[in-house]
Amino acid sequence: MFFRAARRLVLRKPGLGIRGIHNPGDTAHSKGKIAPYTNYHAQRSYPMPDEPFCTELNAEQRALKEKEKGSWTQLSHAEKVALYRLRFHETFAEMNRRSNEWKTVMGCVFFFCGFTALLIWWQRVYVFPEKPITLTDEWKAKQLQRILDMKGNPVQGLASRWDYEKKEWKK
Amino acid sequence: MARQMHQKRTPDFHEEYGSVTLAGGAPLCVATWTYTATQIGIEWNLSPVVRVNPKEWSD
Repeated sequence: MFFRAARRLVLRKPGLGIRGIHNPGDTAHSKGKIAPYTNYHAQRSYPMPDEPFCTELNAEQRALKEKEKGSWTQLSHAEKVALYRLRFHETFAEMNRRSNEWKTVMGCVFFFCGFTALLIWWQRVYVFPEKPITLTDEWKAKQLQRILDMKGNPVQGLASRWDYEKKEWKK
Repeated sequence: MARQMHQKRTPDFHEEYGSVTLAGGAPLCVATWTYTATQIGIEWNLSPVVRVNPKEWSD
């Protein structure tokens, strides 16, 4: 909503907006080809574009717009659809269609996460210092015995998990 | 001038490659992280409870 307001402020300045031509014949197949500097923008939360989708009309379309000024009961169904397509790029159903973009996004997220793992591997090989002696398995085993001898955290902590009679971890 | 209501849409990038990207990226991530976390000697210093058997320390 605020982006739209900002957009309108920016694009209202003369010279910045190239009026979209939007030949209705090829909009069906060129949904990615809208010029970036047109004032047409519709979204579900703000479906009121500043200008019609097609601004340059051929003679047939101009005649139709003239007919639109009269009573709308004279318009055939096809003409009404054509008028809609002149004013709007897509119907609500088309605009709100779901897409598979999330798959691409998540795939790329996972890919780069995986790449991060490779970076950390490189770090482990080339950057990490020697493992301190206190982190070797033998030292840790002796340290554990010392803590158990001192009965460290005997209420809820480490020594409470050790069975002193059977000399094994409690199940 | 009358147009069809339902246009046939050419598939966009996400329809063509989205599933492939997802199906490739996720296993890659899992595989690289499993390898990194377990096989290259990173010390996680996990809890000794149940994992470490104490050893006599006083010489």
